[in-house]
Amino acid sequence: MTTPPLAPAPGPVTCSLCGFEYVPGGAACREIHCPIALGGCATRHCPRCGHTVPDEERSAAARLVRRLFGPRAPRAATTLADLPSGSFGVVAAILGDPGLQARLTAQGLAPGVAVHVVQTRPTWVIEVGETTIALERRVAEAVRLKPS
Amino acid sequence: MELASKLETNFTMVGDGGTAACPGDGAGAGDAGARLPRRIVLLGNPNVGKSALFNALTGLRATVSNYPGTTVEVYRGRLSGTDTEVVDSPGLNSLLPLSEDEQVTWDLVRSVRGEEGEVVVQVADAKNLRRALLLTLQLGQLDVPTVLVLNMHDEAEARGIRVDLQGLEAALGIPVRATVATRGLGIDGVAGALPLARPPRNHLPLPDAFAAPALALLNGQDARPAIPPAFLARYHESLLAYADGIARRHATEADSGGAHLSRRLGRLAIHPVWGWPILAVVLWVLYEFVGVFGAGTLVDLMEKRLFHGYLNPWAVALFSRVPWAFPRDLFVGEYGLLTMGLSYGLAIVLPIVLTFFTAFAVLEDSGYLPRLAVMSDRVFRLMGLNGKAVLPMVLGLGCDTMATLTTRILPTRKERVLATLLLALGVPCSAQLGVILAMLAALPLSAAAVWLAAVAGVMTAVGWLAARVLPGERGDFVVELPPMRLPALPIVLSKTAARVEWYLEEALPLFLVGTLVLFALDRLRFLEVIIRLGEPVVKGVLGLPAEASAAFLIGFLRRDFAATRLFDMSRGGGLDVVQLVVAMVTITLFIPCIANVFMIAKERGWKTAAAMAAFIFPLAFGMGGLVRILMHAAGFQGAP
Repeated sequence: MTTPPLAPAPGPVTCSLCGFEYVPGGAACREIHCPIALGGCATRHCPRCGHTVPDEERSAAARLVRRLFGPRAPRAATTLADLPSGSFGVVAAILGDPGLQARLTAQGLAPGVAVHVVQTRPTWVIEVGETTIALERRVAEAVRLKPS
Repeated sequence: MELASKLETNFTMVGDGGTAACPGDGAGAGDAGARLPRRIVLLGNPNVGKSALFNALTGLRATVSNYPGTTVEVYRGRLSGTDTEVVDSPGLNSLLPLSEDEQVTWDLVRSVRGEEGEVVVQVADAKNLRRALLLTLQLGQLDVPTVLVLNMHDEAEARGIRVDLQGLEAALGIPVRATVATRGLGIDGVAGALPLARPPRNHLPLPDAFAAPALALLNGQDARPAIPPAFLARYHESLLAYADGIARRHATEADSGGAHLSRRLGRLAIHPVWGWPILAVVLWVLYEFVGVFGAGTLVDLMEKRLFHGYLNPWAVALFSRVPWAFPRDLFVGEYGLLTMGLSYGLAIVLPIVLTFFTAFAVLEDSGYLPRLAVMSDRVFRLMGLNGKAVLPMVLGLGCDTMATLTTRILPTRKERVLATLLLALGVPCSAQLGVILAMLAALPLSAAAVWLAAVAGVMTAVGWLAARVLPGERGDFVVELPPMRLPALPIVLSKTAARVEWYLEEALPLFLVGTLVLFALDRLRFLEVIIRLGEPVVKGVLGLPAEASAAFLIGFLRRDFAATRLFDMSRGGGLDVVQLVVAMVTITLFIPCIANVFMIAKERGWKTAAAMAAFIFPLAFGMGGLVRILMHAAGFQGAP
């Protein structure tokens, strides 16, 4: 009598390999003779080319794996905290607490200066010319970068 | 060998050339070497080798003192073979003061400005001309006679940086000399240039909006000028831009590649992976040197051999001729000023302080200290502090009283109070640690884990909560990482000596005061009353034998006594596993000793000290009781 709650009917998706538009689950699954063709599993098969991909809308594990190992979405680095280790950036402005601004500029970290991010863990370590400075995330976020 | 001789000729050449080519109107050049200034103030960015140059100039005869009204260390000495006073100021990045350290240097510079026969010797890292010039330009705006010394010239050459000294002299209008202070190279050149000092040429095209207020501030008569920090940042930016131009014209860029040993080591020490084993090794060596050698071997030698073996019996013998009991008890009794106060401060704490300050100076001069802060930042952030707190916390494992004194290095009042509280609460000093480790040895691993979890839990919870309750902000964590270097032994020794002297002045009197209070309490039979009052708590809440009350109280008052008391009790089989863990947790959370309370009062005020004591003692007993209940519930029982 009681059926397990089903996921809302999925809309059509486009196969990333052949470009075919199909509705995953159900018929699409049976068509390629999937032994567990339940229509509720977290993979999608393209009925035309058979390309199989994890359904990230359903699987938290798949999202996690992509976040950990997948290619990074190219995000515009707006502050020092966005730069990955090993990269370079040019300071546009230092925001936040004026006392902090004054201290950083006295250490040579000022607008127009090139910064090399050495590492981001356990804290941020940056090189400005011949000066190496360690700072925490809060400070790194206050250093705004010029768009490259 | 070859390099050294090459450098030597290079330096003589530079020195001679400098004198001849010294620009300006030439008025002072004629009597070069004739008139030395009365006083020299050494000034410069942090970690540029100021101390090394100071030692090379003065020949290691320095005295250290706190600058009046501050906690900032200032070293003073005399230029070798002359009457000229040399003052070493704390490192700073800008002359418009932001921190207490910079305020001190600012005051020193202002005192130089008005005086005839006083000069500033600015020490700079030859590799980092741009930042040094920011200060030089400010000295120019202040009209202060200056000699610029480019130190660590060897490191700069190794990095492929060439500085055109004569061009720089011409551009700035002041004598510029190159040195390698740690090896004594170029020191004569600096001494010879002193009579030629003059204000750096200043035609800085500052935007009008900044020039006038900056000059007004620099020349201001206020003791502590009120500076809008937002303005400061703009001011620094324009100075930097100008300095950058000069640096580009007169120094070549560093070779980008070529990771040198010190650079690699410096990066390895904070590496996300390799940094941890290195940290473990450093902490282990630190523990072996301070904890085992200092707090163990040296303390035994001083306490058992010297004090108990010779000095105390002598003092007792001497006072036995005094016919009155009162002075006898006061000086050599159970709570005697000599037999307890002095032997406590000199025999037990001094060796720990001595080894710790030696290790501290080595860490400081090697450049590892700020890296230690980087590695431990996360842990301390859990407790509302940041990596800068690592130093007092590690010292606390030796002596919490001393560690409370060093919380001064933390930037905000909130952090100082927090660190003081956590030290008194959760960091066991070497005395407590000694008892605890001895008792741990008798326990199963699971019971030891309960102890560790209880203490770490309380530390984190209290730190986390207190960080939210206490008013104020945690300071930003920004630490400059100097290159890793091999520390020079003479500098390490002179720093250690100066700081031990400081300990003797600051902390030793507190041990005597503490003893005096004890003596009074004992005389008035107050101790017995307190022990009696504690008994129901110890029995009812902690489930320990009534005698433990005396052990806890005396433990707070006298370290050696309590150690043996509790340890004997556990060894005699009088305590089961739960009782042992409860006793250990309570002892760890206790304030280690009465001197620590006095130190808290001295540093943070009586109100804070009383509040902390009122918080910590009930918490220690409460936590002991909680652990007892939980351990019984978890089924721990029986003899160890």
